[in-house]
Amino acid sequence: MTQFLDYAVPGVPFGCVFALMAVGLVLTYKASGVFNLAFGAQAFVSALAYVSLIQDDWPRWAAGVIAVLVIGPFVGVLLDRLLFRRIRTASPLVKLVPSLGLLVALPQVALIIAGAEPDIPPPAIVGNAQRVYLHLGSVPVSGLELSISAATVVVVGVLVVLFRFTPVGLEMRAVVESPRMTELAGVNAGRVSAFAWILSSIMAALAGVLLAPLYSQLDPQNFTVLLVWGVAGAVIGRFSSLPLALVGGLALGVGQQVFAGYLPAGVIANGLRPSLPFVVLLVFLPLARQRQLDDPLSVCDPPSSAVERSASGYRSAATVAAGDDAHSVGLWHRRLVGRDVDGAPGLLTRRPTATLAWAVGLVAIVSALTWVPPDWLSTMNQGVAFAIIFLSLTLLTGMSGQISLCQASFAGLGGFMAGQLANHVGLPVVLGMVAGGLLAAGLGVLVAIPTLRLAGLPLALATLAFALLADNILFPNSWIGNGAGGVTVPRPSAGPVSFAAAKPFFVLSLVVLAVTAGVVKLVGDGTMGRYLSAVRSSELAASASGVDVYRLRVLVFALSAGLAGVGGALYGSLEGSLSPDSFGYQISAVLLVVVAIVGLRSIAGAVVAGVVYATLQVAVTTLPSRFAGLVAVLFGLATLSYTRHPEGFLDYLGARTQHALARHRVARVDAHPPVAGPGPAPGPVVPAAPVGEGA
Amino acid sequence: MTGAGALLVASGISKQYGGIVALDHVDLAVGTGEAVGIVGPNGAGKTTLFNCLFGLEDPDEGTVVFGDRRIDRLPVWRRSRLGIGRTFQRMELFEGMTVADHLLVAEQAASGTVRVWRDFLHRGGPTPPELHHVEAVLDLLGLADLADRPVDALDLGHARLVELGRAMMGSPRLLMLDEPSSGLDVDDTARLGRILDETRRSTGVAVVLVEHDLSLVESTVDRLVVLNFGTVLATGGVAEVLADPEVRRAYLGTTA
Repeated sequence: MTQFLDYAVPGVPFGCVFALMAVGLVLTYKASGVFNLAFGAQAFVSALAYVSLIQDDWPRWAAGVIAVLVIGPFVGVLLDRLLFRRIRTASPLVKLVPSLGLLVALPQVALIIAGAEPDIPPPAIVGNAQRVYLHLGSVPVSGLELSISAATVVVVGVLVVLFRFTPVGLEMRAVVESPRMTELAGVNAGRVSAFAWILSSIMAALAGVLLAPLYSQLDPQNFTVLLVWGVAGAVIGRFSSLPLALVGGLALGVGQQVFAGYLPAGVIANGLRPSLPFVVLLVFLPLARQRQLDDPLSVCDPPSSAVERSASGYRSAATVAAGDDAHSVGLWHRRLVGRDVDGAPGLLTRRPTATLAWAVGLVAIVSALTWVPPDWLSTMNQGVAFAIIFLSLTLLTGMSGQISLCQASFAGLGGFMAGQLANHVGLPVVLGMVAGGLLAAGLGVLVAIPTLRLAGLPLALATLAFALLADNILFPNSWIGNGAGGVTVPRPSAGPVSFAAAKPFFVLSLVVLAVTAGVVKLVGDGTMGRYLSAVRSSELAASASGVDVYRLRVLVFALSAGLAGVGGALYGSLEGSLSPDSFGYQISAVLLVVVAIVGLRSIAGAVVAGVVYATLQVAVTTLPSRFAGLVAVLFGLATLSYTRHPEGFLDYLGARTQHALARHRVARVDAHPPVAGPGPAPGPVVPAAPVGEGA
Repeated sequence: MTGAGALLVASGISKQYGGIVALDHVDLAVGTGEAVGIVGPNGAGKTTLFNCLFGLEDPDEGTVVFGDRRIDRLPVWRRSRLGIGRTFQRMELFEGMTVADHLLVAEQAASGTVRVWRDFLHRGGPTPPELHHVEAVLDLLGLADLADRPVDALDLGHARLVELGRAMMGSPRLLMLDEPSSGLDVDDTARLGRILDETRRSTGVAVVLVEHDLSLVESTVDRLVVLNFGTVLATGGVAEVLADPEVRRAYLGTTA
């Protein structure tokens, strides 16, 4: 018992902080429909403000009040107004991408505003952190632990009073149950939801300020981990119950310490503790899903917004009308039946933008093989490798609508395997790439089987948890990622042909990219693509038509994991070695955000995203740190713009070009009518005046 | 309607939500080619019964036999492939897809012969028989002119027909229609009735129809089942059941 207390008591402050996060997440999710992953970043921003103010000689309590009660809600309200309010009824992807982007960008932006990273260890908000105030049994309780617990108790007390005894609390409880029902009763749900945002942002800020002293340094990383624990707590609360989320968060904080205490020290214990959220998510997510259906009005959803509609269809009505109707049986139909349909777009109309894309690509390839300097070529080659990984997302998220936050993990796995097999077994690297892809696909099946009963947000969270598990258990293993040491991946050779030099390797990469693109295109245009379109719009109707939705999903997930694995292996071979850092879970999030912004619905989108990502990487590593921060700002702004154009930058640009061209054509026809008379009144006597133009 | 002619036999279906009894030992049999209407006040358990038969919900008790197979543990898509087509009260269409594609997806999925590797070899296209069947159903429903339109652009009446057409693909032996007339005006409903009649005549498909529009029910079904509070209140010929005083009290709200 004493031993248990020894382990459990130090877990309480963590539990308190996790609980605050979990409650805040549930609060905003239910009140505004957005599962705000940027919460971790909000916590960081407040923590940073707190420590910076103290460094500027503010008293600790004042810094705490400003950080928690002013800066926290300010950031929250800003995000709500600028962003989240607009996407309340959008599809899960459209809701998730901005919050993921902000999770990455916001801390960087805050660091720029703060000027410099504070270099003092974050102090506790009240009391002496180190002093032992009392003993629980034999366990000493420090001022830090005491202050965190006390602050949490106060917040929970305030919440209880607010919810039980005030009118706005009653309204908030109603909104949490059913926003639509509450609106019908004459309550302004928007106002209530804004209040919920303020409240939850305060909680995020408090969690950040309380958590900061638990670490010796302020690192955004720790706050992302905090977020994941909070997510696990929210899932225990089934996304809907505030008390359960509170208890869940507390239990996780205590549980992780007890867990780590009883396990023998070493890699297993160190790895298992951070993967606890994965286990929790797997166990509790299926329960959460059923609870979500409880809104009594959920069966009469309002018509989806334009944002949602344009983001949900891989090939929406608009693109079909724009002449891109590969999904239609039109041509077969007409050939077979011999009937032409009025107004149907011809299958042969090519988009002018597609021609342009091919031309640009060709110029780039020719340049790469002739005059481009070696370091540029290397960047371009990285772009090609990433394009393959992005294509795996085109297939999975773009076509099938499943959100994966562990694509980098699969890529890493493929890369590590290719390297390990080459180093230990002497397998040729090209075969190693295939093997890496197959292994990633196999692991994809293993991940898919328990998680793919879920869809949308729960699936995304489950894959996030898997990415964490890969980071902490798979990658440190000497048989897989070999921890910090990483794995070397040699350049391949096929018989007499060596791909060791930059240009041959670039050609090889292009071939792999072409094959991958071919697979994605064939799947998308084929019967499977039609099935995927069907499942994405209505899983119910698809299965009612006889589509085995689950099998289809597992298949696509595995195929996508396999493609990512091949891309990772190619990247490893390009770089010569891979470290687990190149494929951490944050990378998965960044990859998804980048490709979503550029365009998830076309092969060109994946290729451009690859180039953009490789360029960004170069920019971040070679530019002075001040400009590297600007990259983060740009990234954040692009994330904001994503909610306006969820179809992706490329599709948006394509549509604009097409409109412009069409208008130009119309204008030209107007200016030079095919048969125009030179006289001031063309009138009905047109045939009499075929003069002028020819001369 | 039991014995050799029975196509679907559900026996003793019960379903509870918490303490609420939605279905209490309901029996339902549908003969080959027979059209059965299910009526009853809101909350009588009609849609729950549909969902239990189709596999969207698991009944707490009871068995469902289709043809000579027990299907009550099979997933939805298996039941669909065995030959049950279904429409939904709330429209479930595939956004952005054309009318013809809706039918094609259903036709290919129902046969279960699609293989992924065919897609990789660019051999995943529809076969001529599949396309002919799509064509035939389009003609039957009068949708041939709209075949290449995306469904998003259709009015509700035509959209309901697309749903019906999708349910008819793969030549099912049983069609389950959940309030197909809801939201339709009198003309659209009449057209729907005519099309249902023609479909039954030409394919011999059995129909289970949940419907509030009594004119459609009367013109379509051979037999009526009245549900009330999760139990079967009455069953028999349409005129006879509707004349039943107990039915009139429970459903039509008249004290006869």
